[in-house]
Amino acid sequence: MTEGQPAARPGPAPGRDLAPLLARVARGDQAAFAAVYDHAVAQVFGLVRRVVRDPAQSEEVTQEVMLEVWRTASRFDPHRGSAAAWLMTMAHRRAVDRVRSGLAAAQREARAAVAVTDYDVVAEEVETRLDAQRVRRCLDSLTELQRESVTLAYYGGYTYREVAGLLGVAVGTVKTRMRDGLIRLRDCLGEGS
Amino acid sequence: MRLRREVPHTLAGAYALDALTEPDRVRFERHLAGCEACRQEAGSLREAAGRLAAVSAVAPPPRVRERVLAEAARTRQQPPVTVDAPAGPGAGRRATSWRAPRMAVAIAGGCILVALVLGGLFIHTQQRLSLEQAHNRAIATILNAPDATIRSARAVTGGSATVVMSHRDHALVLTTAMLPALPVGQRYQVWLMGPRRTRAAGMLPAPHRGMTAPVVVAGVAPGDMVGLTVEPAGGSAVPSSVPVLMLVLPS
Repeated sequence: MTEGQPAARPGPAPGRDLAPLLARVARGDQAAFAAVYDHAVAQVFGLVRRVVRDPAQSEEVTQEVMLEVWRTASRFDPHRGSAAAWLMTMAHRRAVDRVRSGLAAAQREARAAVAVTDYDVVAEEVETRLDAQRVRRCLDSLTELQRESVTLAYYGGYTYREVAGLLGVAVGTVKTRMRDGLIRLRDCLGEGS
Repeated sequence: MRLRREVPHTLAGAYALDALTEPDRVRFERHLAGCEACRQEAGSLREAAGRLAAVSAVAPPPRVRERVLAEAARTRQQPPVTVDAPAGPGAGRRATSWRAPRMAVAIAGGCILVALVLGGLFIHTQQRLSLEQAHNRAIATILNAPDATIRSARAVTGGSATVVMSHRDHALVLTTAMLPALPVGQRYQVWLMGPRRTRAAGMLPAPHRGMTAPVVVAGVAPGDMVGLTVEPAGGSAVPSSVPVLMLVLPS
């Protein structure tokens, strides 16, 4: 979050208020877009940087994601999921696309070692920190293989076949652990919290 | 290990984590299209996966904010998806930031005409001639549509593709230049890749002096992208390899 942007402070936990803001963004409201940016950019940039690693490329991808939000806000359908999930899906896909396109190939090997344990939080907002604590607690409730499968895919940007190779387990096992792990995570995080 | 022989819904976790390869993702989304319960599950797992981003939240430098807001101010937004795409002149869709001037469309039209002439050298029978005439009429209709727009993209393997598209006609004309030659038994296949599904849109003809004759693709829907993959010469029902080229169409 940048200084001197009172529009979105004190903001609710990311995503909680985004849907009505997105409706305004879809109508071309630039102030609403600035508010969406201030709500969401720390999560977007943090995730992109974690997947992509390279700071300059992470800034680029973050810009692409936020501009995609601006361009496609009218396509957001609240009946198909939360605004936060819509936005983070875009961010994660773009980050993963960047990594798999080979542009970030040089960083790829370096990521494996840090992907699992790298939990550093530099967020300023209390709500985000609380949310991070809850997520971390829920991650800790997974089995080790579930947690490693989920975090290598999500934070590392690896495909499930690559994850199976990294962990030295069968591809089918990894698929199952990813699904079971996310189901447990979902249930731990609770509906609508 | 092909998806079609597996129980597809076990891939819901990998899908929500964007951990599928492109062909697997395309197949899984086809599966989702026909399975409401699977869509529900995939959606709920996406929500859970999205929460993982909270753990690494960190603000970018302020310059990113400045750039994004300035760029947004001069970027046209996409209209909402409507049930009935209007067949009018598309006045509401004009002037996206990349929209090429009409001169560029004219130049592309000229290139396509050159390719047409080259293609015409190989016409022998009257039947093929009348097919070609219908083909040429389809091309002329698209090139002369009031909302005709042009777009190009480079292939990751070298070479490029150029598209002239008309929303009014829900159709586009595609040519390529200098794509790498393929071994015998392989061809480039064209795909329309939409947010919901991917459709086969024909095979590229053999190149002549590095250029392929124009291909007309009908049934273009909002949100579609044009993809090119390398496939067996007979074509595939779904892409079997990562696209060598993706071209974003005007919305």
